[in-house]
Amino acid sequence: MGMAVTSAQNKSAVDAAVAAVMDRFGGTGIEATSVERTTGKHASFLRIVSTTRQWLGLAKFLRFDLGVNHCSMVTGTHFPDGPDERGWEVAYHFMRMPVKDQTPGTCVEHDAASLSGMDIPLEVEVFIPLAKGDSPAVDSVQSIWVGADWNEKETWDLVGIDFKGHKDMMRVLNPHDSPLGFHPLQKQHKLRYHDYNEMYDDPQGFERKPTDSGLVK
Amino acid sequence: MAQMWITMGPQHPMTHGLWTLRVKVDGETVVDTEPELGYIHRGVEKICESRDFTQIIPYCDRLCYASAMTWAHSYCYAVEDLLEVDVPERAEYVRLIAVEMQRIASHLMWLGAYTPDVGNLTVFVWCLRDREMFLDLMQELGGSRMHYNFPRPGGIKRDIPPGFADRARAKIALFLERMKEYELLLDESTIFLVRTQGVGHAKAEDMVNSGVTGPNVRAAGVNYDVRWAHPYSVYDEVDWTPSVEKPSSVKGADCYDRYRVRMTEMEESCRMIIDALDKIPGGSDTTYQSGDEKIIAKVPSRAPEGATGHHHFEDSRGESMFYLQGGGEGRGKYPYRVSIRSPMFITIPFVAKTMIGYKIADIPAIMGSFDPCIGETDR
Repeated sequence: MGMAVTSAQNKSAVDAAVAAVMDRFGGTGIEATSVERTTGKHASFLRIVSTTRQWLGLAKFLRFDLGVNHCSMVTGTHFPDGPDERGWEVAYHFMRMPVKDQTPGTCVEHDAASLSGMDIPLEVEVFIPLAKGDSPAVDSVQSIWVGADWNEKETWDLVGIDFKGHKDMMRVLNPHDSPLGFHPLQKQHKLRYHDYNEMYDDPQGFERKPTDSGLVK
Repeated sequence: MAQMWITMGPQHPMTHGLWTLRVKVDGETVVDTEPELGYIHRGVEKICESRDFTQIIPYCDRLCYASAMTWAHSYCYAVEDLLEVDVPERAEYVRLIAVEMQRIASHLMWLGAYTPDVGNLTVFVWCLRDREMFLDLMQELGGSRMHYNFPRPGGIKRDIPPGFADRARAKIALFLERMKEYELLLDESTIFLVRTQGVGHAKAEDMVNSGVTGPNVRAAGVNYDVRWAHPYSVYDEVDWTPSVEKPSSVKGADCYDRYRVRMTEMEESCRMIIDALDKIPGGSDTTYQSGDEKIIAKVPSRAPEGATGHHHFEDSRGESMFYLQGGGEGRGKYPYRVSIRSPMFITIPFVAKTMIGYKIADIPAIMGSFDPCIGETDR
């Protein structure tokens, strides 16, 4: 039989993390909750909604007190139609992995069901809403997780969210000579630029319409 | 001696795809490196914003041509989190079989591409020969040779066809025999050992902090695997043990350790497939019609605004992940934002830095041992 982290372990790890974050940051505008998935194995994860002001402190707390050692993904979203306080949003996904350096010739074979405390794998999702405006920015965590470095480059390159204090920010997926301020995942860049109905759905002029014609925003 | 920058790629045999590694050398020694990516950036994330949830699957297949099945599944698990769909158990078993076959095929593609880099052309031909057995099996599932478009949100496109289980068992038995031949050919080859042992050291903690995951971390002495750490599918019901390799130096795992861990991983995948064929609910000799509730669940076509879904998935190259936001165009028919974590996008900058201090001739050996794939890197 294969092994797996049990749901009791998963719950205890997430609950402990929620308590630790709220204990340290309660009342500062940071909200930590335990979110249980409604499908699959019904695993829980830690979701934090943070403010830009508290973000660096929270990041250090996650890394050095909760042992969250892996930055999985940094991503940004543009909400031009959103409320004033949420015109942009940065989403971080972190993981805690029970990984330690090994001496040569040895290895550790974790048995999932017997892991406890800080060794239980943990999944963390952090949202930081940013105010509407032309220059969304959030503090860089490049120095805390090396893995955030290229993720932040990509987020700036594609979405245009600036990471304050990031060293060596540059284009990674778009051409290096892309015009300043061109970030293709911002919503003013339409994929269906021309008349979408003509361009994609009626190349031969049969006057077919997509089923949601007129409903598309 | 004066130092100078030289450019490897975009057409260098080391690159395994279209990218450039700028290397600063002092004589033969590498003193600094700088990767340049983005040559085949297709804007998949943007394209997905105007496709509905099923139409996105073929784009995910094409993220990595060597590992199409795992990417499509990675996406489907995230969509199921977004749309709140439970997958029927039989479909989970078929998915597991498909994903593990793709993992074997992907590792074979890696081994076949890696060994010519370090001086052994025979294994290249053998690997492609054996990979074809698994491509044939997956073709029975998906209908095409490399881009299968097989899973669907909520289940699978079609069930395993009649006779599939017998053919899979026979091919795996043959493949396990041939694995011994590979090991004899490589582990006894002085050239292979000299090129791979003692180069490209990487430590476990450094790798995790730098975002490197999967077989590369398991080679450094820890059996961490998303498949048991954040369980999904039916990996807790089939028989397997996560592969792990003992690092050979205080500096961490070398290229040889990373080769070994992928070999044991292929054996584990074989065990998993055989066991899943034995345990599959409904039996491996029945075939349900497409659309049967045993293999696909009812799925809503729209996701409300504000809903998010994400899923960590053990890809052949490490942890892949999709993050989706609902409430896009067409009243939620399309996702508002699709974001893809590619394991190789994060790994390549890390590997570039591990080369510092080695010779130019070691660059192909080190780079290849991490199994780069540029399709998923550039997206």
